[in-house]
Amino acid sequence: MAIGVGTIKNNRLAYVYTMPALIVMAAVVVYPFLYNIVLSFSNMNLSHFYNWRIIGLGNYLNVLKESTFWYFLWKTILWTVINVFFHVTIGVFLALILNKDIKGKSYFRTLLILPWAVPQYITALTWRGMFNSEYGAISLMIDRLFGIQIPWLTTEWGAFAACVITNVWLGFPFMMIVALGGLQSIPDELYEAADIDGASWWHKLRNITIPLIKPVMIPAITLGIIWTFNNFNIVWLVSNGGEPADTTHILVSWIYKSGFRYFRMGYAAAFSMIIFLILLIFSFNFIKKTKAAEAVY
Amino acid sequence: MRPLATKILQQKLEEFSQKHPGWKFAQLFYEPETARTNYIISAMGGSGPALFWGASDNIGPLVELKVIKPLEQYLDAAFLDSFITEPIAANTWFQGHLYQIADQVGNHLCLVYNKKLVPDPPKTMAELRKLGKELTKDLNGDGKPDRYALAWNYTEPFFAVPFIYGYGGRILDENNQPTLNTKATIQAAQLIYDLANKDRIIPLECDYEVSNALFLDGYAAMIINGPWSWGTYIENGIDIGITRIPQIDETGLWPSPMVSPLGYSVNINLEGEKLMVALELLKFLTSAEVELQFTRALGTIPSRKQAFFDPSVMQNDLIRSSIYQLEVGTLMPGVTELRWIWDAMRPSYQSIFTGQIKPDQAALAMQQLAERLITENRE
Repeated sequence: MAIGVGTIKNNRLAYVYTMPALIVMAAVVVYPFLYNIVLSFSNMNLSHFYNWRIIGLGNYLNVLKESTFWYFLWKTILWTVINVFFHVTIGVFLALILNKDIKGKSYFRTLLILPWAVPQYITALTWRGMFNSEYGAISLMIDRLFGIQIPWLTTEWGAFAACVITNVWLGFPFMMIVALGGLQSIPDELYEAADIDGASWWHKLRNITIPLIKPVMIPAITLGIIWTFNNFNIVWLVSNGGEPADTTHILVSWIYKSGFRYFRMGYAAAFSMIIFLILLIFSFNFIKKTKAAEAVY
Repeated sequence: MRPLATKILQQKLEEFSQKHPGWKFAQLFYEPETARTNYIISAMGGSGPALFWGASDNIGPLVELKVIKPLEQYLDAAFLDSFITEPIAANTWFQGHLYQIADQVGNHLCLVYNKKLVPDPPKTMAELRKLGKELTKDLNGDGKPDRYALAWNYTEPFFAVPFIYGYGGRILDENNQPTLNTKATIQAAQLIYDLANKDRIIPLECDYEVSNALFLDGYAAMIINGPWSWGTYIENGIDIGITRIPQIDETGLWPSPMVSPLGYSVNINLEGEKLMVALELLKFLTSAEVELQFTRALGTIPSRKQAFFDPSVMQNDLIRSSIYQLEVGTLMPGVTELRWIWDAMRPSYQSIFTGQIKPDQAALAMQQLAERLITENRE
């Protein structure tokens, strides 16, 4: 739809009202984004921080031809899928329980939101301590119960699992709250009608609950995927910056390390543009395919 | 800086602020790597703290990124002459300019031992191994050691480097090129691997926090740590002794920790009155009186001649032992290449302890990565 001069004139007041937000958005989102695009074509690094120049597609080619990118991309996808699966499954399961008339409902609801309320930094470092293979609470418990010692933080997949467990613990309350909101908006009449028709618990879940919480869950899942894909904090803090041996990285933690530890700014900028494109294509297709933007009623 | 150090610093800032009404002085504490990154980002953005405190190996990157100010024009010769030049030069010059004024020297790793558990510390690695077997104990009878002879952050390259020098190696040459793929690196890595996996006298998994907690709780009889930690041990009532990291039997050499001055650099963005106040604060924090307060509480080696030669310092057993280790230390170069060498060492070195690669493969891989990082950043 074209915006004509007439439209702008007619809505002048609305544009004036939105102008401060637009200016702030331009300053904190649009400008850094455009600057990042420029940097991605440059040789900016520690030796060329002020005298950088445009070098074309070199950084993009370097990123794509390195095995690091493909390895961390695969790991990031795995990380995202496992986390979001557990966030949604646990979140919806708990929301279904909390939606019933159970005793101490508000107490349980508060308790289950707690992981979300604790600062991520503290959660991550606490879990890291609990994963120490000799002295950590989790390791001691597993050792007492099953007599095995798991080297969580010193092996590649042990550290990955530690990050996943921490992030699942942190992430399910959000999905639970969203699902609970969706469940509470479903009219009781629908369940009553289903009861009269003799529908089982499974049929009601499949034909009433899931379709009706879908409009709130799909955007939440989309957000969950993007947040998890870019969840730098947990991976960085639990694995202490990618340990062991820089194997416990997802794409964003590797970008951070390249940019702010190795100061390979051009390379890191190109890397981040590739991630941006991946997420843009994914989100666009996901929302389109799931029709999340469409009205349900 | 650790809790006790930040507490003293806070007192000193409050004292200084009384003489400068209208100005506010606050401190921000981060771990060294994070502090450097955060400072660089903020200073490049035109703000950031007035003073940046850290080891002198930060100077190279900070100068290249133009985030700290040359100081020689603001400080007179008499002031600069009041700092020690032996056993190491306190103030840091880089590319012909003065960039850091130290409030202490050393920053070096030593063997710290709990006198209650170790009356006579080991002098050689053979002695350490022998003593280690006696000290490492299964206290609760579950078949696993609860107390270890020694704990330290051995998976961090900075904490492994003394042993490379102890085997006669080094990590960079006169031209600032990496020298990691050597027999010494392989032997040093093998030694540490064996202490954990063969001798079992150090924990299998041990980062800085874990090793510190073990030593504080009496579950490690000895620890390899630096001056920043001693105050906490003393404050917690541990009767500590300090000595050199045990000699390498094969070479007869002492492991040589990196040594460096620690001090203050000034933010490039400071001008006018703010700069003058920051310089006054720098002079105050590096005064002999203030340095001695830190020394008495933390056992740090002061940088000011008047404080360094103070009888309370010269007669202090901990400081004398610390200087004894310092004498066999290696001055940490301030060049930027060292940053890339640390970064290159970490992944391969840590892979040894996960069993992914052998020490000889790790030495080759870290050399290659160091060369690549230097080339990529210098081209």
